[in-house]
Amino acid sequence: MNSKNIILILLAIALVFPLFAGPYFVNVLTTIFVFLALSLSWDMMLRTGQLSFGTAAFFGLGAYASAITVLKLGWNPLFSIVIGGLFAGLISYILGYAVLKLREIYFSITTLAITSVFSVIIRNMSDLTGGAGGATFKSAIFNGDPTKIYYLLLFLTLVVIGISEWFKRSKIHFAINSIRNDEVTAKSSGIDVFKYLLLVFVITSIIQGVIGAVYAQQYAFVEPESTFSLNFLLLPIAMALVGGIYSTNGPIIGAFILGIISEYLKLIIPYGHLIVYGLIIVIVVLYMPSGIYKTVKGKMLTNNGRRESYDHT
Amino acid sequence: MTTLKTDNIVKKFGGLTAVNKLSFSVDKGEILGIIGPNGAGKTTVINLIAGTLPVSEGKIYFSETDVTNKAPHIRNQMGIARTFQTVRPLKDFTAIENIMVGSLFGQKKDLKAGREYAEEIAQLLNFKNINKPIDELTVLELKKIEIGRALASKPDLLFLDEVMAGLNSEEIWELIEIVRKLQQQEMAICVVEHIMKVVKELTSNVVVLENGQIIAEGPYEEVSADEQVIAAYLGEDY
Repeated sequence: MNSKNIILILLAIALVFPLFAGPYFVNVLTTIFVFLALSLSWDMMLRTGQLSFGTAAFFGLGAYASAITVLKLGWNPLFSIVIGGLFAGLISYILGYAVLKLREIYFSITTLAITSVFSVIIRNMSDLTGGAGGATFKSAIFNGDPTKIYYLLLFLTLVVIGISEWFKRSKIHFAINSIRNDEVTAKSSGIDVFKYLLLVFVITSIIQGVIGAVYAQQYAFVEPESTFSLNFLLLPIAMALVGGIYSTNGPIIGAFILGIISEYLKLIIPYGHLIVYGLIIVIVVLYMPSGIYKTVKGKMLTNNGRRESYDHT
Repeated sequence: MTTLKTDNIVKKFGGLTAVNKLSFSVDKGEILGIIGPNGAGKTTVINLIAGTLPVSEGKIYFSETDVTNKAPHIRNQMGIARTFQTVRPLKDFTAIENIMVGSLFGQKKDLKAGREYAEEIAQLLNFKNINKPIDELTVLELKKIEIGRALASKPDLLFLDEVMAGLNSEEIWELIEIVRKLQQQEMAICVVEHIMKVVKELTSNVVVLENGQIIAEGPYEEVSADEQVIAAYLGEDY
């Protein structure tokens, strides 16, 4: 069975899933999609060599932009999701001129600081944002219908996967991989380093903004503490690390494995499931540093190689 | 036609003047040798002309255009390419992909045309293992990748920064033949080199640097007989 067939089968399962699964499982999968998209967007930025801690910042920004357009302007929630993405993209474009001049730990720390700064600003603009207490919507998007929300997030996740593959198969792959490997070589070979960093930073911020907007509309609620929660940074990073960085498949596999495990652990160990969850991450990172996807793929390749060499003798 | 002309370029690192009022030029189809003892400022000169470092003073003209304030990637797209003294391959790419980076961005080709051009370059360099990962390549192959990536941007001006260092004499001859082929394509080439045999074989003119200044220039035979040059290389006592 080749990979194209596997993708088609998985896609078919994802499309019919809500028809035979109950709302609980539909919800679990919907949450996995949220973190999958964030994880992929974080990985796309990492492919340029920049370790961003700003995932939650643009997630929260998108959530608030969407909330305000619905609450204050009374716009359509679906349209407000577009606004959430565009607003996150615009802010990342402006901030990019400052933060993308920074490298390594300085870039990482600054993006983390941006998250706190956004959260503080939102908290203090209480007229517009509802302040520290947050704001509640009259109703969730699609009146809270889990199936419709599922399909919306499935669609968005597929778009994000598509963007990730476009990165992999176009000149962008060559540009950002070169920048990660050796920026001086990249510059000397005609690559406009800043332009590509800005492009990836803005695209990944738009993704984070859109996902944040959907999340806000799904739960009909925004609040500085939980909307800018570091969960939207740390879980996506853990998923990409467990699945395997610098790839599309790695974060997908990581999101499903960790997403399903965390749900299961919540059921069997309601108190302390996070400890087991953390242990799993530590073990995978220690024993499979290149992630599950590349480790398994590497094993399969060497097994095939051995079989072939046996055939020759 | 003059491909490169520098006009009194100066580079200061704090109190240290690494390059001091340097003026020289290279013509189309010329191979210029840049020699000098360690720390003379040879690599700094390449960095200034390629744009990796900004000049403190002076002007750089490439094909009669002032490129002094242009970004390095723009200069590469205009036709200035360089190799690095210590090879700087892109480790997550295969050999051919490393070369492709030059054609994709230096020449702005699309993926298909970029690969085809890179394969032509690999052939010119007599490079066989084009699909090997970087960590399986020999020293000679890494040097060829370095040259190949520079060539793939189709430069009019090429800097070779000690590409022969660390190679045996058979390998050196192979590279000398390749550089001669490039000269026939009317490229202007600057060779920074410590191996005098290479300088003698390849270059028509030589510039000798010491402490960031030109202490002698002219054909190799003349320069190598110059007392000041011998003193700079071997010390006053010889």
